[in-house]
Amino acid sequence: MNNSVLIAAGLAVAFSSAAALAQDGGIEAKAQVCAACHGPNGNSTDPQYPKLAGQTARYIYLELKDFKEGRRHDPQMEPMAKNLSSEDMLALADYYSKQRSAPTGFKADGAKVTAGAKKADEVLCTMCHSGGFSGQNEIPRVAGQHYAYIKKQLTDFKTRQRTNDAGNMTSVASTLSETDIENLAQYIANL
Amino acid sequence: MNHRITIAGAAVALALGISGVGAQETGTATVSAKPMSGNLTSISDAMLQNAAGDPKNWIHPNGNYSNTRYYPGAQITAANVGKLVPKFVFQTAVLESMETAPIVINGIMFLTTSFNHVYAIDATTGEEFWHYKHKMGPITTFCCGPNNRGVAVSGDTLYMGTLDAKLVALDAKTGKLLWEKQIADPDKGYSETMAPAVVDGKVLIGTNGGEYGIRGFVKAFDAKTGELLWTFYTIPEKSEGVWAKNDLTGRDMHRNIDAEKAAYAKDSSFYQTLGGGVWMTPAVDLKTRTVFFVAGNPSPDLYGAIRPGDNLYTDSLIAVDLDKGTYKWHSQYIAHDVWDLDAVSPPILTQAKDASGKMVDVVIHGGKTGHVYVHERGTGKLIRFSEAMIPQENMWVLPTKEGARMLPGANGGVEWSPMAINPKLHMSYAANLHQPMTYHVEEAPYPGGSKLWLGGAFKTIPSEQQWGQLVAVNLDTGKIAWKQKTPQPLIGGVLATAGDIVFNGEANGWFKAFDARNGKELWKYNCGAGVNAPAVSYMVNGKQYVAVAAGGNVQIDAKRGNSVFVFALQ
Repeated sequence: MNNSVLIAAGLAVAFSSAAALAQDGGIEAKAQVCAACHGPNGNSTDPQYPKLAGQTARYIYLELKDFKEGRRHDPQMEPMAKNLSSEDMLALADYYSKQRSAPTGFKADGAKVTAGAKKADEVLCTMCHSGGFSGQNEIPRVAGQHYAYIKKQLTDFKTRQRTNDAGNMTSVASTLSETDIENLAQYIANL
Repeated sequence: MNHRITIAGAAVALALGISGVGAQETGTATVSAKPMSGNLTSISDAMLQNAAGDPKNWIHPNGNYSNTRYYPGAQITAANVGKLVPKFVFQTAVLESMETAPIVINGIMFLTTSFNHVYAIDATTGEEFWHYKHKMGPITTFCCGPNNRGVAVSGDTLYMGTLDAKLVALDAKTGKLLWEKQIADPDKGYSETMAPAVVDGKVLIGTNGGEYGIRGFVKAFDAKTGELLWTFYTIPEKSEGVWAKNDLTGRDMHRNIDAEKAAYAKDSSFYQTLGGGVWMTPAVDLKTRTVFFVAGNPSPDLYGAIRPGDNLYTDSLIAVDLDKGTYKWHSQYIAHDVWDLDAVSPPILTQAKDASGKMVDVVIHGGKTGHVYVHERGTGKLIRFSEAMIPQENMWVLPTKEGARMLPGANGGVEWSPMAINPKLHMSYAANLHQPMTYHVEEAPYPGGSKLWLGGAFKTIPSEQQWGQLVAVNLDTGKIAWKQKTPQPLIGGVLATAGDIVFNGEANGWFKAFDARNGKELWKYNCGAGVNAPAVSYMVNGKQYVAVAAGGNVQIDAKRGNSVFVFALQ
């Protein structure tokens, strides 16, 4: 698809705003709003907010869309996403996917990491999350994510507080015990 | 699992918007290292048709149109295979799973990597001629790794399917992009990993996406222009079938047919998201002008309640007309599959005895169920199925929320790994997995094509060991002729040769040669990363070579590598 197709489709306006965002640093201005919680370059320091740096663009985009359209719930993110256009969301997704993920400084418990690694093999996490939990397409990178955030998401899937996963994570988490979740979060946060 | 150009309405704005931000990415990204060897020749239709008898070249992903993976050269034999040594190792720039079957023409090798890179190299030294890197579109949707299984060749052109669901045509000499065609919409879950087949000026290619609610197909494109010639949908509008109570081997699948019939009467529109991907290279019988392929699982994999009926033609072997793409016959292994035990490994055309002992033309398939199925080629009728090549237990227990244990696990049996045959010995050789799993179901409506849609989960059982098994089956009897257990599940595919050798790789890096007659291990070499790709063989200046990629695998998380190893006798 090229520019002429876009113009022919009558979407020149949408395109130029997206292009402008991408070209003149507009996206970085937008990202400033995110940085308040998600940290500079998407490397958050407060563990309740996920790191976005190095996340797959497809996942960030789909999550923003889900917040905006009410499939994923969070009192802070829902109003944030409400005002974003598709172009904004795509540009933000692209921006954060290109940032380098920095270590969180998480101090892992060796025994729990070992137990978590074993559990991860059993549940076949990397069949979707890919080797080293680096993510692919709409499946998020979770390697090196904040321990508290991973634990909360797994718990939310298990208790159906979070349901925008097409049932996959609900099913995976349904047979995980609290200890399993803790061990998995230790292991993944330590990657 | 295991994998449309028209975008309507609001989707246009979205798709084009994405294009605006992410990339105006067309054109080539080819780097030439040195001028192409003058030995490269054009591949004629006659060469493609006679490939089964040509020991010099390997010009089909599976050796020939019959997909036999039987190399006709016999320089390497049981007597000398122990002297096989590596001649060179070609390192690609991509450290990610490799499933490529290299193509070799007159001493020039064309190989692919994850993320759709293609390399042209000297097949005796590993010296690079050119490197093509596909400019990926902004949206890719695929479940099981950024894999690619190789190119097809015809004339002076290479053909590759891409993760962003395009068909690209490259100049074999220079690696320059000649044209590209959007096959289907990646935003709806379509992607390409298979090596296409080229026959009579047509490029045949299916699609991945059985985990995303696609509507599966095989399409034929004009090899010169890329124009779409025909489409065969693996999911007909009326998908209910015959309400089969049993699987093809006669075992009760515990369906609630009354409830399914009632649900189907209310709504049968789900055919548009019913899956049925075709993601391995078809076989072609030019005598009868028939294309044979298998269709994968219904979507969603485990949650069957929202797709009542037999879910035609998922989990089936299908024959269509080569010229028109019209239906000839199908044979469904599992109707209304809720275990993802679908049909993936490419069908093979050969001969075997029928029930009366007469040698007849057959088409065979190695199933995730662990059976090799032998069908009459003209009608699809099942002649026999082999003994189970791996343990089967508790078939067909229905998935539950808590998880129901059944063997085999969802990867098989035989996954996508192509089998090989030895027509002299009437044997097939299949790479099997043994992965005990529990099957979990979860209600899940169609999530719009943008998210993995399993309708549940598969989980391995930690207390139960996983392993693999290379199994030879006598096609005339269905009996297991020999088997070799391996410490890890097998994914990758098999090569058989006229020297009565069988080559097979393992996730722990071992690449091994076995005596095709009795399974005796004759030789091994450790490649340092998972050997999860099918080997190929060819001859240059009177010397037989064996090539295999060692790049590991996403599905079984085998150690990643980036290399193709090439062996010959000392």
